[in-house]
Amino acid sequence: MERRTFLRMLAAGTAGAMVGNIPFEVLAAAGKTVNWLTWENLAYDEYISSFVKQSGIEIQKGFIGSDDEQFAMIRAGGAKDWDLITPGLDKVELYVASGLLEPLDLDKIPNAKSLYAPFQSTALGKKDGKTYGIPFYWGINPIVYRADLMTEEPDWSTLFEGEKYKGRLAMRDYALEGIAIAAMYLGIERERIFKMDDKELAECKKACIAQKKLLRTYWNSIADLTNLFAAGEVVCAFSWVPPYYDLREKGINMGMAKPKEGVIGWCDTCAIPAGTAPDSASAAHELINFLLGPDYGKTLALNGPYAISTSMARDSLSAEEQERIFIKDMSVMDSFVWKENPADYGNWVRIWNEVKAS
Amino acid sequence: MKLTGIEAKRRRTALVLTAPNVLFVLAFCVLPLGVLFSYSFFQVDFVSILREPTFDNYNRIIHSETYRGLILKALIYGLGVAVLCGVIAYPLALFIAKRVNIYKSALLTLLLIPLYTGDLIRIFAWRVVLGAEGVLNSLLMWLGLIDEPIWFLLFSPFATTVVLTYNYLPFMLFPLWAAIEALDDSYMEAAMDLGSRDLGVFFRIILPLSGPGLVAGFLMVFVLVVGDYLTPQLMGGSSGVTVTSAIHDMFGAAFDWPTGSALAWLLLSSMALFVACVVYGFYRSPWGRGIRKQDK
Repeated sequence: MERRTFLRMLAAGTAGAMVGNIPFEVLAAAGKTVNWLTWENLAYDEYISSFVKQSGIEIQKGFIGSDDEQFAMIRAGGAKDWDLITPGLDKVELYVASGLLEPLDLDKIPNAKSLYAPFQSTALGKKDGKTYGIPFYWGINPIVYRADLMTEEPDWSTLFEGEKYKGRLAMRDYALEGIAIAAMYLGIERERIFKMDDKELAECKKACIAQKKLLRTYWNSIADLTNLFAAGEVVCAFSWVPPYYDLREKGINMGMAKPKEGVIGWCDTCAIPAGTAPDSASAAHELINFLLGPDYGKTLALNGPYAISTSMARDSLSAEEQERIFIKDMSVMDSFVWKENPADYGNWVRIWNEVKAS
Repeated sequence: MKLTGIEAKRRRTALVLTAPNVLFVLAFCVLPLGVLFSYSFFQVDFVSILREPTFDNYNRIIHSETYRGLILKALIYGLGVAVLCGVIAYPLALFIAKRVNIYKSALLTLLLIPLYTGDLIRIFAWRVVLGAEGVLNSLLMWLGLIDEPIWFLLFSPFATTVVLTYNYLPFMLFPLWAAIEALDDSYMEAAMDLGSRDLGVFFRIILPLSGPGLVAGFLMVFVLVVGDYLTPQLMGGSSGVTVTSAIHDMFGAAFDWPTGSALAWLLLSSMALFVACVVYGFYRSPWGRGIRKQDK
């Protein structure tokens, strides 16, 4: 028996035991549950309790540790356990190619009309005019640095050249971003970054090999990088946003730089696995609509802090709160390079391994 | 009961007792390795695995300087750390086995304590010791021996080697201790009576007779070091890449299970070959008498 069928029957059975004389099938149809596979920090009870109360839909949560892990799980037959999953916008294509997702019914997601323009127009997450993964929340991966230990604001070149900060820099151990940043540093057109030919990739590889000599380390977990900043081991790194806020709160003068050549933007989506029962799919659509709406958007902006993909919560936030999640001046989005999945990503990973082994 | 009956019963009992273990190893070790082996001949096309056998994966890896280098690096680290552990563990094991009486079990327990904590805790403890603002650098600076922190103490091959040696020392120490503990003191006394002194006694008596312990310790440390990718990743800095992390990347990030499987199998075969050569070399050497004798 599938997990969700089992859970539904279990829920209905418990209710049935209490009510007694109502036929089992009726109860089974009434007790709607969404099995939601997502990041833990998006699904805290206090974030979604209002939805559960209003809709009567029960949410069973499961958590992912990485995008790759999620794909591997769904690809290996795990789709039947979940009604709603959270693939990266750049990864939706892989799921669709594997026939793992079903198209979303945008009529059931009215809040989708307020998606920010770049998310409306992006080709990612869609195929043949249908939307399979709808942008849900997003952010950027900037350069974070110890403003107290650096004399000037860094840009991408800081991570590739010069002796001044040699041995005090760090880079994420991730082929996609590592090579994309080398491409931005080399001035490769933004539209070409994830479609580079062998010659351009070879140039990026050369830059990355030169970069390796300047690095203290490649980081794998953001908590680890935060520690390295705090201990002064690393003064400047391609990072995620959290160390900036976490360490400022601890009184360290941190800086965040968004190089004009481009900043890596990321976005996660909501997607429904193929084969989800109509009832559960309909409940999942309701949950998606809530996740793109004002209540959830505000909660996530204040606590995450992360921005959702629609403008629904924007007006309820102060200018400072908007600034924290990069939605005060929307033109900042123009400098984003949204992650895409290169056609031969295996080759990118091999190049990255060659860089690290050089 | 007749002798043949007893024999038959003994065989049956042995079969019943060993069958679960054999089945377990078959199901959870041999079978997955077999699956991995078959995958190593497949191809990957975007998100699908093409089950058309080919040697391309093996060819690509064998002709890649990077992967050859990573496998070699893993074997060198395995050997190097095993030798370091051996050098440190011998005097310790000798001391505990032959010089300590009352506190023997206390000492042995003490040496096991690091293993009670998790890998990550040990690694981060070493970060505190070796870091730029860490215990060691602070001490050296306080003593006025250095003006600037020594950066290569952390995030370097040096740091990786120190932590690997520390982590896996008990795996060398315990087999050695057991072997030396079982060693009859009268052999050493006889050697001394005949005029042999410290190093002579060690190389002619102790080393050959504790050979089985040394080989057991070497095998454990070697295998554990080759398979450890967390320590090099978190202590080795930008040079912390390992063949194991490359395999991990192939399976996870690149969705290239076939190449990952081929790399895993090449690593496994190289390890087996390398270990066989080293152990055979030791077996043929003058110090291998201990294992040779047990063969008879």
